[in-house]
Amino acid sequence: MSTETAIRDSIDQAKRAIGRTWPLHSFVTANPLAGFEDRPFHEAVREGERLYGGRGYPSASVFRRAWEQGRINPDRLRAALARHGYDADADEADPEALLDRMASETEASDAGPDDDADRTPTPSDQVDAVLTKWLSAFLDEGAAKWPMPDRSNGFYRAFRAAARYDRQIPDREAIAGLPDDPIDALADRLADRPRDRWASAFEHHLSALPGWTGLIRRRAEDGGVWQSACPITLPGYLAVRLTLADLFGAQIVPDGAEADVGSTPGNADAAGDVPLAEVWLNAWEATYRERLVDEVAARSPRVDERREDAGDDADDGSRPDAQMVFCIDTRSEVIRRHVESAGNYETHGYAGFFGIPMRYEGRGSAVGTDACPPIVDVAHRIEDRPRADREHRHERHARWTNLLEAGERVLEGLKSNAATAFSFVETAGSGYGAALAARTLLPGRVHTAIDAVEGRTPSAHEFCGPTLDHDDTDEGEIPRGMTFEERVEYAANAFELMGWEEFARLVVFTGHASETANNPFGSSLDCGACAGNPGGPNARVLAAICNEGRVRAELADRGIEIPDDTVFLAGEHNTTTDEVTLYAGDVSESHESDVERLRADLASATADAAAERAASMDAPSDDAERETKRRAADWAETRPEWGLAGNAGFVVGPRALTADLDLDGRSFLHSYDWRTDPEGDALEAILTGPMVVTQWINAQYYFATVDTAVYGSGSKVTHNPVGNVGVYQGNGGDLLGGLPLQSVMRSDDDPYHQPLRLSTVVHAPVDRVADVLSAHEHLTDLLDNDWLSLTVVDPTRDHDAFRYDEGLAWTGLDAPEPSIEEARESQVSAPVADD
Amino acid sequence: MTGQKQSEAIGELPSGKPQTDALTPVVVTRLTWALFVASLGAVGARTLGWWTTLPTAGPFAIDGLTLLLWVVVTFFAGIVDSYSRRYMAGTHGVGRFFVRTLGFTLIVMLLAAADHALLFAAAWLAMGLVMADLIGHVRGWPQAQSAARFARRYFLGSSALLGVAIAVLWWVTGATTVSGFAAAAGSLPVTAVFVVSAALVLGAMIQSALLPFHGWLLASMTAPTPASALMHAGFVNAGGILLLRFSPVITAEPAVMLAIVLLGALSALGGKLLKSVQTDVKRRLGCSTVGQMGFMIMQAGLGFFGAAITHLILHGCYKAYKFLSAGSRINRTSPNPDSDHGSLGVVGVAVTLLSAVAGGAVFVALTGKGSGPDSGVLLLLIVVLTTLHATRTALAQTALSAPVRIGAVPFVFLPAIALYGAIYRTVETVLRDVPAVTAPAELTVGHAAVAVAFLLAYLAIETGAYRRSRRLYTALLNATRPPSATLLTATEDYNEY
Repeated sequence: MSTETAIRDSIDQAKRAIGRTWPLHSFVTANPLAGFEDRPFHEAVREGERLYGGRGYPSASVFRRAWEQGRINPDRLRAALARHGYDADADEADPEALLDRMASETEASDAGPDDDADRTPTPSDQVDAVLTKWLSAFLDEGAAKWPMPDRSNGFYRAFRAAARYDRQIPDREAIAGLPDDPIDALADRLADRPRDRWASAFEHHLSALPGWTGLIRRRAEDGGVWQSACPITLPGYLAVRLTLADLFGAQIVPDGAEADVGSTPGNADAAGDVPLAEVWLNAWEATYRERLVDEVAARSPRVDERREDAGDDADDGSRPDAQMVFCIDTRSEVIRRHVESAGNYETHGYAGFFGIPMRYEGRGSAVGTDACPPIVDVAHRIEDRPRADREHRHERHARWTNLLEAGERVLEGLKSNAATAFSFVETAGSGYGAALAARTLLPGRVHTAIDAVEGRTPSAHEFCGPTLDHDDTDEGEIPRGMTFEERVEYAANAFELMGWEEFARLVVFTGHASETANNPFGSSLDCGACAGNPGGPNARVLAAICNEGRVRAELADRGIEIPDDTVFLAGEHNTTTDEVTLYAGDVSESHESDVERLRADLASATADAAAERAASMDAPSDDAERETKRRAADWAETRPEWGLAGNAGFVVGPRALTADLDLDGRSFLHSYDWRTDPEGDALEAILTGPMVVTQWINAQYYFATVDTAVYGSGSKVTHNPVGNVGVYQGNGGDLLGGLPLQSVMRSDDDPYHQPLRLSTVVHAPVDRVADVLSAHEHLTDLLDNDWLSLTVVDPTRDHDAFRYDEGLAWTGLDAPEPSIEEARESQVSAPVADD
Repeated sequence: MTGQKQSEAIGELPSGKPQTDALTPVVVTRLTWALFVASLGAVGARTLGWWTTLPTAGPFAIDGLTLLLWVVVTFFAGIVDSYSRRYMAGTHGVGRFFVRTLGFTLIVMLLAAADHALLFAAAWLAMGLVMADLIGHVRGWPQAQSAARFARRYFLGSSALLGVAIAVLWWVTGATTVSGFAAAAGSLPVTAVFVVSAALVLGAMIQSALLPFHGWLLASMTAPTPASALMHAGFVNAGGILLLRFSPVITAEPAVMLAIVLLGALSALGGKLLKSVQTDVKRRLGCSTVGQMGFMIMQAGLGFFGAAITHLILHGCYKAYKFLSAGSRINRTSPNPDSDHGSLGVVGVAVTLLSAVAGGAVFVALTGKGSGPDSGVLLLLIVVLTTLHATRTALAQTALSAPVRIGAVPFVFLPAIALYGAIYRTVETVLRDVPAVTAPAELTVGHAAVAVAFLLAYLAIETGAYRRSRRLYTALLNATRPPSATLLTATEDYNEY
């Protein structure tokens, strides 16, 4: 093996230690320990502890709180303890005593040598300090007026050209003499070290600044405009890092007999050693899951009954007034409940990118955004273009945006020139003073004012439409538009995955987006299925496809009959205020009254959802809508909405399983009907797509809650955004990748998010689920290693529940006691279940 | 587990109020706004002439500057408090934070009213210690504690320098009050003037984070955002106030004033240059403050103390706003932004020059600065340059129709200058009883050099000529690096939570 191959192989081996960090403007969910998903959860946690010093389980106090609030069922706890070898009857299994033990163990391991803060920086600290300086300069996306010179030559060469003048580096003249190729530089640094230690050396250096290296890895693997303009690679980065380590006298190869990279510990004891915290976590999860599964299983017989009823008399007026499709996002669960109770409406859950893998080029935005989950490759470029019949509005819009942009450029020009910035501040200062007072003292009014301005200027969605037609003249890397066949495919996929049968007069695809002010993490609240972007554009594309006559004809051939009076609309759910905007500007006269009624009912759903939300945010509920709007516009608000905090469950099945349940915004919901999916294709698509993405989201919230510093990004109060790509804490250093503390905690030590791993519940025959799993090793890996759990409610086996165990084995769970279910039946009167 | 009513949610999430200190924030915020209203009333009464003789009692002396500063500091503190009641909700030590901001406010009010030299010095020292404590607000975070210690050393240094100045003045004049020093300033020996001025100017430079004492400011980002707003809108201004309080001493020697102009101009231009290479929001704002404070001190050095005070108030509004909105500055960008400079043509050049002259004329007419052949000409030059630049940029916006572009000058730029003029006049009126508020200096070669430097800086930035040097880039980057002990390179250190 040549040296070069050996180096590249070792880097590939080592890079699983680092996650993938997305730039903050499109916050993509990722499990920070994604590299270890092929290992048991507790081993991955241990790796995280070894590499980053991260804590992987909730603290004893979090468990204690959950225990005291009755969130952990004593029976479940006893069972979990027994399973892991704690004698259930002895004193050692007393919950209080166990919590005390857990607390003292954590304390002991936390009391490290960190307390003497002003210790002299070690050589490794100095390497980090110099390196973060150059990384932030190189990876900057347009923040600095004067960017780092020579960036187009790549990180390694740009560093070589500039760092020779860096007086913070000892013996800096040596940098000028570095070889041209970073691999040669690495070979020089490693020449006298044993080859079998190279991988652990690389792992050591890659895991030193995990925020930055995660960003580099993501950028190098995915490409993008910035990567083409200023390329950076892991070998280039490592060459710089090892050079600096050499010059500062820091370790190149870590000492100690650490396990070799990539090899699972062969030690059988270690593998079976599940920590006490995981046992508690299991019990907590089991408590939540048991309740969810019971309720779903109890409703399973009713789903069949309903279908039989519907089959008997198709035209009995059961056709809903409108059907709305929402994202599987947990926040949709809340608004769906309120929409359903506002009128004769049916709702469905589908991944919020609506199955369209597109790069969206919005009106007036310079850069396209990839609006699809990162497990899907972008296949189309969709441009928002003004439509000929809306020319008038377009002109007004253009005048307004041109004025704003020009004003911004003049201000920017004045501020950035050294000679003019001072007079600028003097002449503009009083304006800033007025804005300062208004935004701080009257935050609610600010939202009203913004609304008023927006009401007077036409927004882009009023006069633009997505351009779907395939354009073969375009020679871009990604084709513009899509072919007819692709359009039919996307529409058919949607209805097949959701198990759709009957169409109402209005069908609304509702994407979602958040609305927050002064929030670097705004995109973490947008649609996760759209890679941290608003979902409205995707909804508009699918609605446009479904309204096409040719597409409908083709769909009819495939067995999807859409009545002529069905109109498809797009909409967007504002997850901060729970308002739903319908893009219905061009709906024909025949459907105007339907749209009007839907709008009115959506407004009442908004009010109800806002009242529910106000309670969860500790706000007065008498004027809940004003409060949610205030939070959307308030620049001092660090918790504008709870996002997906609380997520713990994922129900795959018909809405009737959950329609009369209050899931408190904790469950993802994907519509699915096993009967319309005899081959299991739809199920396969759901388990390999949405389930994997929800597990990432869940893992991200879990880890950000259990260790806000290492896996989250700490408190927003001391955040410092850097380079349009991320945030620092305070003065700088490593980039922080995860969710901020305020996204998951009610106060600094009181979690709002309940750190539980995802409990998936699927309504389908067990065998069919097993078939899908056996074909996808990645899924069984995740399940076998306890990254999430899977329970199947099997309608063909007496609606019994089966829990996935390990290695494709299942455990049957007791069916819910029928007496309780019957008792409840009589009280329940839910609009959807009864129609 | 079973048999609940249907309304109960499955695994209901926590609700209700988390346990935090709710009382202190409310009390402190209300008290601060009450102080603001009272100060505003006092200024109003004073301006309208209802309150003719201001009290001087014991160690205190209240004059126009005192009242003005009371209004300014209570306004910024009130904004910061109201903002923090929502922003800091649920964080550790929120009560401590509010007590510190109130403490800071009261200390600054005391400083503004202090006449006895020891009281003045004590308030100065206390102000620095409270601010250092806010930088280290997050107790369990070693980097924040390190940054606090770093800043505290600077503040102790500036207090020591102030102590030296006061000791020398006391020893030479025998007076113990600031007003006593002012009265005796005319009879001071030249050496004493130089020694005292050097100490005062250095102290002011540290306080206002002028080059080369900008390190503490750029390493202070461990402070919670609202504390940074208070620091950049309030704390750093004290350098200008110190120079105004002791203006009778430092204006005694033209050489001292010229030195202040040169040091201020160096920071003004240097700060902007340092800013150009910064990638993080807060350090960019910090570099901008270094530049703006340099300009403020330069205005003082030119003898326009009123202009300096006006500048620090308006800059405070600007910078507080920028800090409090620091989170809104994450944008998706493209590596190749289109350049927007069209050519102006003959008409454009004529309009540009004409507007620049008009801007200057409005400035002179309303502020009186630059009307005579003195150092005010320098300030006039900068206004002319700014109007010229604004007009030029506005005219280049070809996406706009010609009437809109040309209309920007009379309807936006000139009124903005007029508004500044009005504020400047108001400040001057309030400060009319403060000694040596306006003491323009005679023009010298030094002043000419500063003017040339500003012109060159303007051209260099417009042409981007300075960007060729990698050496300069690296030097600028290094000049703004905080000490490595204040950098969070291993996120596990951030272990308060």
